[in-house]
Amino acid sequence: MGENILTGIAAGLRGLLDGAGVPVLWNDVILMVVKVVVILLFITVNILWLVYMERRVCAFIQCRLGPNRVGPKGLLQSFADMGKLLSKEFTWNRYWDKVVYFLSPVLIFVPPFMIYAIVPFGDNMAAVNMNIGLFYFAAVSSLGSIILWSGGWASNNKYSLIGAMRVVAQMVSYELPLMLALLGVVMLTGTLNMSEIVNAQHGVWFIFTQPLAFLIYFTAGLAETNRTPFCLVEGESEIIAGPYTEYSGMGYSMFMLAEYASVMLISAMCTVAFLGGWLAPFGLTFIPSWIWFFLKMYVMIFVFMWVRWTYPRLRVDQLMGFGWKVLIPLCLANIFVTGVGMYIYRAIGW
Amino acid sequence: MFGKGLIKGLEITWGWFWRKKVTVEYPDEKLVMSPRFHGRFELDQEKCIACGLCANACPNKVIQIEKAKLGKKQILIKYVMRIEYCLFCGLCVEACNKDALSFSSVIDMNQYYRGKVRLTMVDRPAPTPEEIAAAEAEEAAKAAAAQAAAAKAKAKGEEG
Repeated sequence: MGENILTGIAAGLRGLLDGAGVPVLWNDVILMVVKVVVILLFITVNILWLVYMERRVCAFIQCRLGPNRVGPKGLLQSFADMGKLLSKEFTWNRYWDKVVYFLSPVLIFVPPFMIYAIVPFGDNMAAVNMNIGLFYFAAVSSLGSIILWSGGWASNNKYSLIGAMRVVAQMVSYELPLMLALLGVVMLTGTLNMSEIVNAQHGVWFIFTQPLAFLIYFTAGLAETNRTPFCLVEGESEIIAGPYTEYSGMGYSMFMLAEYASVMLISAMCTVAFLGGWLAPFGLTFIPSWIWFFLKMYVMIFVFMWVRWTYPRLRVDQLMGFGWKVLIPLCLANIFVTGVGMYIYRAIGW
Repeated sequence: MFGKGLIKGLEITWGWFWRKKVTVEYPDEKLVMSPRFHGRFELDQEKCIACGLCANACPNKVIQIEKAKLGKKQILIKYVMRIEYCLFCGLCVEACNKDALSFSSVIDMNQYYRGKVRLTMVDRPAPTPEEIAAAEAEEAAKAAAAQAAAAKAKAKGEEG
């Protein structure tokens, strides 16, 4: 019933514009702008909800109630926080590299937004159905480390610099296992297109055929989003929020919100690659595909939060050692075993 | 096995996630204080005999008492506690012979202005000279009556 509600709206809009005699090119442009605006709105609302959810989950795990005063059940807490941060004074410091300093929090949202364009939120619901989807994801998501680095560098502050260097070290080290883990999935499906990867999981989700890759992806994803137990970048007790030390008000909150955007992104990619995307399990197809996608994504996000409030922070040398000496060899072994397995299956004739 | 501890940790936090929360949402629900809790003071004016023991017992000179004589009786005119100096030790409550002063379980004594912090238990007008005179006259009459009765009884005893 609700299955075609969103694609239906898009088709309806296209038809309406066609009927009004709008040229095809402009029709496409208008439709794309509408899609982008919808994605922007969707991400913003979700991020505000995630900030609230994070605080609630944290509170529940710590036997507290969390924010529950602003609005019904505290749902407007994030909006109140945003209002407070927006109204904060804009400070200047002559030691800053001002252009880079003020550009970084603006640009930090760009990579996640660029990737959301290719995420298939439901059956036939990717804004752009890109053939090299996973490659694009790998390429664009690694831009985030540069922006964090430039923010830390422009702050001209010891702690920011240490934090920024940790960002680069950590993100570059963990991007490798993240992508190598996805490579197992790519080998099984033989495509980089996200919709095709999802469609290849009709029989069995890849979390069951590639459990090791899933675990590696999850761990590397935690590190990639700089979340506990890999939150050395922020390291509140050691380096005072790392690259964000000199930021306040909206600049800081942009960085903070971007973290949630990337958490959502990593969860969405995990859903696509390992949890069967929008496919309904047990034949429960009466629930629309995009609802399934959100359910799975939110389960992953919850696990991210659950892990965050369970484990303590790693040391830097442990982090790097774990990334290079454990995760990458495991990834390579996984790729090897997957390849051998594929040949064996092919030889048996499955 | 490697990773057992990680799973155990997740299990523990999962359990705590569903447990009943310890938060008390203060203005809506309040904790029940134990009977011995040192909350705001209460003074039973009927029982108080304005002896001043509480004021003497106080180490911080919190309690200020004004009293007046009404005939032979002492009455309380003003009983002010400068709560801003009070350390809630409870010596005044212990000192009270008549159980007039006691603790209640009220905890919200905070005020916006410092001047409003002090607790005025009794503040009534001092007895006018007429009242004092009337009380004295009444007492004198009573005393006279008692004397007369005593004399009568004595006379009776002598007769008998």
